[in-house]
Amino acid sequence: MTIPAGKGLLAAEAAQARGTALTVRQIFWRRFYRHRLAFCSLVFLVLLGLASAAAPLVEFALGVDGNLVDLFAAKQPPSAGHPLGTDELGRDLLVRLLYGGRVSLVVGLAAALCAAIVGTLLGLTAGYYGGRLDGLLMRFTDGVIALPILPLLIILAAIDLGKIGLPQALVGSESISLYRIVFLIALVGWTTVARLVRGATLSMKTREFVRAAEALGASAPRIMLVHILPNVVSPIIVATTLSVGGIILLESVLSFLGLGIQPPLPSWGNMLTSAQELIWDAPALAVYPGLLIFVTVIAFNFLGDGLQDALDPRALQGED
Amino acid sequence: MLSYLTRRLTESFLVLAVMSLLIYLLIGLMPGDPIDIMIFSDPEMTPAEAARLRVLYGLDQPILQRYLAWLGNALTGDFGYSRLYNQPTLDILLPRLGNTVILMGLSFILALAIALPAGIYAATRPQSPVDHAINLVAFAGISMPPFWLAILLIILFAVTLGWLPAGGMGDGRDGWDDLRHLVLPVLALTIATVGGVIRFMRAAAIETLRQDYVRTALAKGLSGRQVVIGHVLRNAMIPVVTILALQMGNLFSGALITEQIFAYLGMGKTIYDAVIGNDYNVALVGLLLATLTTLLANLLADLAYSWLDPRISYQ
Amino acid sequence: MRHFILTLILAAGLLATAGSLAGPSPAAAAEELRIGISQYPTTLHPSREPSVAKSYVASMTRRPMTVYDQQWELICMLCTELPSIEAGTAVPEDLPEGVEGAGDGRGIALTYTIRPDATWGDGTPVSTKDVLFTWKAGRHPTAGIGNLELFRRIHAIDVIDNKTFVMHADRISFEYAAINDFRILPAHIEEAVFDAAPEDYRNRTAFDTDPTKRGLYYGPYRITEIVPGSRVVLERNDTWWGKPPAFDRVTVLTIEKTTALEANLLSGSIDMISGELGLTLDQALAFEKRHGDRFNVIYKPGLLYEHIDLMLDNPILADKRVRQALVYALDREAINERLFEGHQPIAHTSISPLDWVYYKDVKKYPYDPAKAAELLNAAGWSQLRGGIRYNAAGEPLQLEFMTTAGSRVRELVQQVLQSQWKQLGIDVRVRNEPPRVFFGQTVHERRFTGLVMFAWGSSPENAPRSTMHSEEIPAEENGWSGQNYTGFKNAEMDELIEAINLELNRANREQMWHRLQEIYAEEVPAIPLYWRANPYILPKWLKGVRPTGQQASSTLWIEDWTVEGR
Repeated sequence: MTIPAGKGLLAAEAAQARGTALTVRQIFWRRFYRHRLAFCSLVFLVLLGLASAAAPLVEFALGVDGNLVDLFAAKQPPSAGHPLGTDELGRDLLVRLLYGGRVSLVVGLAAALCAAIVGTLLGLTAGYYGGRLDGLLMRFTDGVIALPILPLLIILAAIDLGKIGLPQALVGSESISLYRIVFLIALVGWTTVARLVRGATLSMKTREFVRAAEALGASAPRIMLVHILPNVVSPIIVATTLSVGGIILLESVLSFLGLGIQPPLPSWGNMLTSAQELIWDAPALAVYPGLLIFVTVIAFNFLGDGLQDALDPRALQGED
Repeated sequence: MLSYLTRRLTESFLVLAVMSLLIYLLIGLMPGDPIDIMIFSDPEMTPAEAARLRVLYGLDQPILQRYLAWLGNALTGDFGYSRLYNQPTLDILLPRLGNTVILMGLSFILALAIALPAGIYAATRPQSPVDHAINLVAFAGISMPPFWLAILLIILFAVTLGWLPAGGMGDGRDGWDDLRHLVLPVLALTIATVGGVIRFMRAAAIETLRQDYVRTALAKGLSGRQVVIGHVLRNAMIPVVTILALQMGNLFSGALITEQIFAYLGMGKTIYDAVIGNDYNVALVGLLLATLTTLLANLLADLAYSWLDPRISYQ
Repeated sequence: MRHFILTLILAAGLLATAGSLAGPSPAAAAEELRIGISQYPTTLHPSREPSVAKSYVASMTRRPMTVYDQQWELICMLCTELPSIEAGTAVPEDLPEGVEGAGDGRGIALTYTIRPDATWGDGTPVSTKDVLFTWKAGRHPTAGIGNLELFRRIHAIDVIDNKTFVMHADRISFEYAAINDFRILPAHIEEAVFDAAPEDYRNRTAFDTDPTKRGLYYGPYRITEIVPGSRVVLERNDTWWGKPPAFDRVTVLTIEKTTALEANLLSGSIDMISGELGLTLDQALAFEKRHGDRFNVIYKPGLLYEHIDLMLDNPILADKRVRQALVYALDREAINERLFEGHQPIAHTSISPLDWVYYKDVKKYPYDPAKAAELLNAAGWSQLRGGIRYNAAGEPLQLEFMTTAGSRVRELVQQVLQSQWKQLGIDVRVRNEPPRVFFGQTVHERRFTGLVMFAWGSSPENAPRSTMHSEEIPAEENGWSGQNYTGFKNAEMDELIEAINLELNRANREQMWHRLQEIYAEEVPAIPLYWRANPYILPKWLKGVRPTGQQASSTLWIEDWTVEGR
C-alpha cells in the first residue's frame, strides 16, 4: 500500500482553505468528465431502448422468425443470416436478445417506478413528521437494507398465488410472472429513494412556504403532496435512476434462478439459465445476455451519478 | 452499556420471532404440502391413509396452531427434521453455515484488502486519473451481474484453461484439492462485492480527510504519511465496521448465487434447495439463521463502534 | 495500534482457514472407484421414500430377494430358488376367513429359502427373523414406512427354519414369485428401535442415525462415511458371500451441476458418471464428441416413458380425431435424430419395445401433416384465421402445454413440439412449473387443462392399472389417489387390466397385452414420445458395467465390474 506524499493532500486542503471547492480547471474537468460519461450512457440507453422496441423490425429485416425452432441450425456461429449465431434451438440470438431486452427493460423501469412511489411516500412521511415516526421508519428502512434479501425473495417468489386468493384465471395467465416480480422488487427496492426523499423533506420542512401553508391550516398530506413533493422531484429522479441498475440486477438474478420471468418469455436473466449448462459446447450463449445486463446496469449507474451531479449543487462541494 | 446490550438483544429476539411467524405463514402458502408429495410418489396410497398421515404430521390444524407448536419445539431446541436428508435440521444447517462463513469471510477479507488501500489512495488524489480509474472499476464491480461473472470465470479458468475445477467442493481428504475448489467461488464473490466496498471506503476516507484534526495535524508539521497512518486509518476503521454490517445481507445474497453456480454446499444453496424441494423445516430454520447472523453482525458492529471511537458511548 | 490488531486478526483467520482445509494425505494405494451422480439420496432406509439415488447406493450394500435382470427375466438374488407352481414350491390355496383377495378369490403359498451364506456385516446371519420384522414394520399403520402394496398382499408368513419361510399372498398373479420390493431390514438392530416407538421409527432408524453401523448391510460393500448432500463412502464388506468385487473402496460423490460433473470427470476427481443420475442425453452426446477417445459412453434406453398426458375432460381433447391429429402432426423421428442422435427411440404406446409383451404391429403414427389436417377438419376445426384453426362457433384451437421447469431437454422438446403444432394451426401455449408444484399439485390433482409432459418409470410387464383404470382417476372424493391423470375410461381396458395379472398362461397373456396396446394406440389417451436413454460415461479401463434399462440399478452387479489396463 503506497502512502501518498503530502502534496496532493495539501493541494486539496489548501484549496478548501481558500474557500473555493477546487480550482476552476479542476471543476470544469470533473464536470466535463462526469457529464461525458453520463451523456454517453444516456445515448446508449436510448439506443438500446429503441433497438429492443424495434425487435420485430430486426426480425423482419433479417428474414428470420425469433420463435421458430430449427434444430438443424442449433448453436451455429455468427453468419450472414444470423449476426450473432443461433441458440440451442436454432433461434436467432440477436433477435432473442432484443426481445429479452424488452422484457428486462420494461420490468426494470416499471419496478423502479413502483419502488419509487413507495419510497417517496415513506420518505415524505418520515421527513415531514419527524420525531418518533421518523425514527421508526428509518430503523425499519435500515432493517430492510440489512436483511438477506435474496433468500427472502426466493421464498416470496415460490408461494402459490392461488392460496392467497387470487383468481385462477390470473394465476394461470402468461404475464403473471411479470406482475409478481414487479411487486416483489417494489417490496424491497424502495430504500434508496426513501432515504434521499427523507433528507430532502427534512430540509424543505423548515422553508417559509411550508410554514406559511401550515399557518394557513393546510392538512399534513396536502402539504406533503402539494407543496413539498414538487420540490423534491430532483432527488427522486436521481434516486430512481440510481436504483434502476440494482433492480435490473435483482430481476435478472431471480429469473436466472427460475423464480422470475418464466420461459418461454425471454429475459436476459433466464437466457443465462439454460446457457450455463452449455458452456462446454457453446460458451458464446452465456456471454451475450450477461454482457447486456452489465452494460445496461453500468449505464444506468453512470447516468444516475451524472444526474446527481447536475441536479444537486451541494455534491460539487466535497464528494459523493 | 449492559442495559444497551440487553435492549439490543431483546430487539433482535423480537425481530427473529416476527420473522419466524412471517416465514412460517409464507411457507404455508407454498403449493402442495408434504403429504401431496408422498401421495404422488406412492400410487397405492389410499385416501384414508393420506388422511391419517395428515393427522400424524399435524397438517389438519389451523396454521397459527401449527406455528405455535413449532415455536414451542424450537424454544426447547427441537427444530424438526429435514425432509430431504432425514437428519435433524440443525445437523444439516450448521456445517453448511460454516462453509458459507468461510466463503463470505475469505471474500470479505480479500475485498477489504483491495478496497482499503484503493479507496484511501483515491481519496488522497481526488480527480486524478488514478481516482477516476478506481472509480470506474468500482462502478463496474457494482454493475456486474454476479452469476454472469461466475459463469465467465468458469469458462475462463475451468473450460478454456483447465486450471481450476468448475464446481463442487472436494472431498475433504486432500487439503490442496479443497483449496482449489475454493478459489473460483471466493474470486467470484470478491469481485462482486469489492466495487461497493471501494466506493464506501473512498467516501469515508474523503470525509475523514476533511476533518479538522487532519488539517491540524498537517499544520503541526506532520507529514502526509504520518497523518494517514496515525489518524485517518484509525478512524477509517469505523466505516469498515459499518460496511461489514451493511454488506452482510448483500454478501449473503451474493454467496447464495455463487454457491448455486459452483455447487458449493453452503447456507444459501441449502435454503434455495429447501424451498425448491419443499423441505420446509430447513427453509424456515435456514432463513432464521441467516437473519440471526445479520442481526448479530449489526450488533457487533455497533459494539465495535464504541470501542473504536471513544466519543461514542451507549447508555 | 488498531491496524496492527487488524493485521493480527487477518493472519490468524488465514491460518485457521488453511489449517482446517489441510486434511489427511491421500490413502495408500488401494483400488478405488469414484462415481459421480447428480442427486443425493434423501434417506438411507431401504423402504422409505424410494429414489433413484438411494437405490443406486443401496444396491451396493444389499441384495433384493428377487429382481429383474438385464434380460428382464426374474432371478433370485437373496433367495436360492424362485418358487414355482411346477416345482411345487408355490401352491395355490384357499384364502382363510376375513381375507379378501382378488380375481378368483384364491391365494398362493410361496416357499423361499434365504441363501445359507447370507450374513449381515457384523456376522449375524440373514434369517427369517429379519423377514418377520420387515413384514411387521411394513404393515404398521403409523410407522410411516410407506404402504407398499406388497406388505398388504401378504396375509401370513410361516417360518420353517431360520432360513426358510412360506409367504401367503392373497392373490395369484402371473408374477407371483416376484417380491422385489420386500427389502429385508436387520431385526437385530432395528427391532428394538422400532418396538420402543413405532411412530417415531422413521426418525430413529439406525440407517439415518448411525449409517456406518456394519450390521445394516449384507452386500459386497458397507457404508463407512457419509456427508449429507455431498458424498457416501463405501468399503469392502468382509461378510459378503458372492464374488469378491474389484474395488476396495467406492466413493459416490454428489455434484448437482452437470457442468461441474463433467469438469470433475475430466480433471480426474471422479472416474465415471452414472447413467441413472448423470448428464442429460444431449450433454453426453456433446461430451462423447469431444472426449470419446478417453471415455466410453454407453446409451441404454430403458423403461422411462416420456409422454404427454392429455386432459380428456377438455372438450377439445375429448374428440379422438383431435388427439390422433396431434400425434400425426409431430415429426418425432426428427427429434430423435436431431436432438438425440437416434439414441432415444420413439414410443408407440406405453409398453417398451424391449419388453417381451411388446406388440410390434400396433398402429403407428408416422409424421403425416396432411392426415392431421384432414382429421382436424373432420373434427370441425376447419376455419383458418391468422394461422390458427377455429371451429364453427368461432372458438380457437388453443391448448395449454405444461412440463417441469428447469429441465432443459424437456423445455427444448416442448418448444419443438409447439412449433410443429403451430404449422397445423394449433395454438399451443407453454407454461412450466417447478417439479414440486407440477407433480405435487398440478398433475396429481388434475388441475391442468391441456397437455402435460413427463416420464413414467415402470417395471417389465407391468399392467398399467394406476394410469389407465377408470377407478384410478384422482378426485377430491377419493383423496386424490390414483394416477389416471388423463381421466381415461374404457370398459374393455378396465377388463383387460384386471385380467392380465391373473392370467398365468403366457400365450393368453401375450394376446391380452396386444389388445391392450391396440386400444391405447387407437384411443391416444396420452401422446407417446420416446424412451429415455441413460448415458453412462465410463473410463476406458472399467469393464463389466451392464445397465439393465429398468428400475434395477447397474450397481446390483458391481462385483462383475473389473479393471483392465489402468
